[in-house]
Amino acid sequence: MSKSTHGEPAQTTQSAVDHDHAAGISRRTVLAGAAATAAAVTIGADTPAVAQSADSKQDMETFVTLSAALTGIAPKLLAPETDSVGIKHDYFSWVNTKQPVAFARLLQITKTAAIQNPAGDGADSIIKQADVDRLVQAMESNADTKFLVRSIVLMWYLGSWYEPADLKALAGSSPPSFIGHTVISPKAYTQGWLWHVAQAHPMGYSDMQFGYWTRKPAPIEDFITSRSKGKT
Amino acid sequence: MANDDIDVVIVGAGFAGALIANELAKQGKKIVILEAGGGVPTNINDYMERFYKAQDKVPEVPYTPPLTNTDGHFDQGVNDPDKVRAGRPTVRTLGPGAWNDPKQSYFDQLTKREDGQKATPFSSTYDRVAGGTSHWLGTCLRFVPNDFKLGSLYGKSLPDLVDWPIGYEDLVDWYGKAEAELGVSANVEEQAYLDITFPPQYAYPMPGIPESLTDKAIRAALENLIPAETAFLKMAQPPTKINVVGTPAARNSQPYRNRRACAGNTNCIPICPIQAKYDPTITLNEALSHKHVTMMKHTVAREIILDADLRNVSEIRYTSYKLGSNETATASIKAKIFVIAANAIETARLLLMSKDEALPYKAKTVANRSGMVGRNLMDHPYYLAWGQLPLTGAHQLWPYRGPLITSGIEDLRDGAFRGERGAFRMDIGNEGWNFVMAGIVGSDPHTTAIDFINGVNRSLFKQPPRDGVGVFGPALTKALNDNITRQFRIGFLIEQTPNAHNRVMLSEHTDGLGLPRPQIAYNISPYEKQGIVAAYQLKELIFRRMGATDYTRVADDDPTRFEEKINGNTVALNYGGAGHIMGTYRMGTDPDQSVVDSYQRSHDHDNLYLVGSGTFPTGATANPTLTLSALALRTAERIARRV
Repeated sequence: MSKSTHGEPAQTTQSAVDHDHAAGISRRTVLAGAAATAAAVTIGADTPAVAQSADSKQDMETFVTLSAALTGIAPKLLAPETDSVGIKHDYFSWVNTKQPVAFARLLQITKTAAIQNPAGDGADSIIKQADVDRLVQAMESNADTKFLVRSIVLMWYLGSWYEPADLKALAGSSPPSFIGHTVISPKAYTQGWLWHVAQAHPMGYSDMQFGYWTRKPAPIEDFITSRSKGKT
Repeated sequence: MANDDIDVVIVGAGFAGALIANELAKQGKKIVILEAGGGVPTNINDYMERFYKAQDKVPEVPYTPPLTNTDGHFDQGVNDPDKVRAGRPTVRTLGPGAWNDPKQSYFDQLTKREDGQKATPFSSTYDRVAGGTSHWLGTCLRFVPNDFKLGSLYGKSLPDLVDWPIGYEDLVDWYGKAEAELGVSANVEEQAYLDITFPPQYAYPMPGIPESLTDKAIRAALENLIPAETAFLKMAQPPTKINVVGTPAARNSQPYRNRRACAGNTNCIPICPIQAKYDPTITLNEALSHKHVTMMKHTVAREIILDADLRNVSEIRYTSYKLGSNETATASIKAKIFVIAANAIETARLLLMSKDEALPYKAKTVANRSGMVGRNLMDHPYYLAWGQLPLTGAHQLWPYRGPLITSGIEDLRDGAFRGERGAFRMDIGNEGWNFVMAGIVGSDPHTTAIDFINGVNRSLFKQPPRDGVGVFGPALTKALNDNITRQFRIGFLIEQTPNAHNRVMLSEHTDGLGLPRPQIAYNISPYEKQGIVAAYQLKELIFRRMGATDYTRVADDDPTRFEEKINGNTVALNYGGAGHIMGTYRMGTDPDQSVVDSYQRSHDHDNLYLVGSGTFPTGATANPTLTLSALALRTAERIARRV
């Protein structure tokens, strides 16, 4: 069972300096986040990458809201109250390091859209399509944020980073070509949500029991809404 | 231990080497194993981390030396085949432009065979690490009785087909012993097809693995056929039903020998995270627990040296290397008996590197009176097809659940058609389009997800997302669930005839120890191509019966691509590698036509055994591991009687 793969990422040129200072979000917060990332790298621990100031906590909530809206996964699942994995911190600091200005703009757009995280269970734990569409419309109006949105969804889905510039190039290319990605971390791979959207598990990371595959899985709601439990 | 105390030196610690070492260890023999790669790690955590982090999750990626850099990207810098000291092929270097470029690829693959025919990629790979083929799927099929006598059956019309020197009846008990050692799950009543027999009261060590939902759908599609639909198979009678049966596998269906039952990680290849799938490190560790068994890791055998009378091997010359250092040490090791268990390419390479001008035959290399060493390289050319069930209604299959493969079609593995075309078996994937897309535009579910999130259509969906328009929120989860849960793939492993011109030779390109790398010339013959044509027709039947949309495609620049006329239409086909490397030092009764006898002992040197699937005279259709394991156990018993 072997087949060739040849998908090294294309070299992309990324704008190193973003001159747009119009981002309404507190630059101080975002920069604090970046500093914390560096600190976490330095000490090499699982320290949350974002400083736990009031502002950054608010940014994290906004990040979870925009992530939940775009992915279609319940915010309570992306960021559980007791979050022993804490992948949201890794993702926040990753995006914040990669694309600080565009990310700040996405957070601001999300705040302006004033989308409430749903309080209900089941289908009512998912952000409604109308809210999603409103948010996406605002985010896609700017070329810098349009493809970053897609990178963020793919990050939550697969634990992999696809450069927005590569996605932009792919969207305009013909015929279809390879596009490279970087798995953010081994942990990120195991936290990919796409597998659960398919009512399954990341390949190589099953929390299920012998023989489950011969039966139909639980309904998709059990995988992506907040009543999810017993995913077999 | 002192050099001259050693009973047996074994080169290679994969299936055959580990099994033989352990059998001899149990009897108190003094054994040294030379292993080219890294030893057995304390646990598989590093393997798993490397797998999770890798961009391309190819079969070799968990193992050492690493193929990837710290970003998880395949890195030509760390894989320079001129510099790696125990190099290996990887599917990352099989694509157009890479497969025949020895600067990129460990193999030096020729584009023309010695008979003037075009050569095409040999697409199978292997690892060089203690445990050898740990990235195998786990399939443990027995050969069918006719597989051992194709020469008698069809040799008149196809002279390349030869008989084995033994038959099914000689191996039946050894199959049982191998199934016990590997821990095979299967049901006897399902496996007794095409004259396969079992001793009375025989039961596999564990019950069969339950079928997947995709298996069930394909099984249902192949009931109540009409003869006109299956006439293309050229069976004695066109079947009105094609059975889908459980695949016997060295995968625990219940706890076995201190290993857990399978949890359906859908990751047998490259690695089972809980070792519910047997791999040779299990037997190897048992062998190494005996105090008179030693393994020298990072130690590459470089020459087999003969006694003055040329009748026996006196010693093996090897080079040991150190990781993180350029330091090497070359020395020799003596023993009473030598076993080369380094797979069908590396064993042939070592034999060809072992020159002795005093040898009284044309090829002045060890064990090569027949001139057959390196010849008759075989694989099971692997034809893949993938489809999707209708997007509406109750047509979900839910892939990415369960072991990678749980069922297949086995009763087309024999029939009178084998005088005209290769037989095949079919496996059913439980991993959706995961790896069938990998060689096209990128592995799934990445590709499907990017299509919907980025408004592109690299999957070539018939109902694609709107161009440039990303889908988000509940609409995205619905689109992805609708599509992914209806995806499936099937694969056909085609029988390949031995051909003297499909050959492993020595390249002028060298590895990091300065040793010549394998040079390979290979293609598939009309026999295999017609097998693929029949496989294509069965695919058409299955997809039609399932109401599936066919998404199979062959890239224009695929170096394995070929075209055939099927029912008046020109169809593009291709093949991949199954990882089943066979035939390069085949067994037989005639020392002028074969390299070893049925006990895998060299015809030319009394104390030299060459084991593994390199001894297979014909490759049949079964995945070779169980048969090579049975042969290894049979050989171990023979060796034990001699030392």
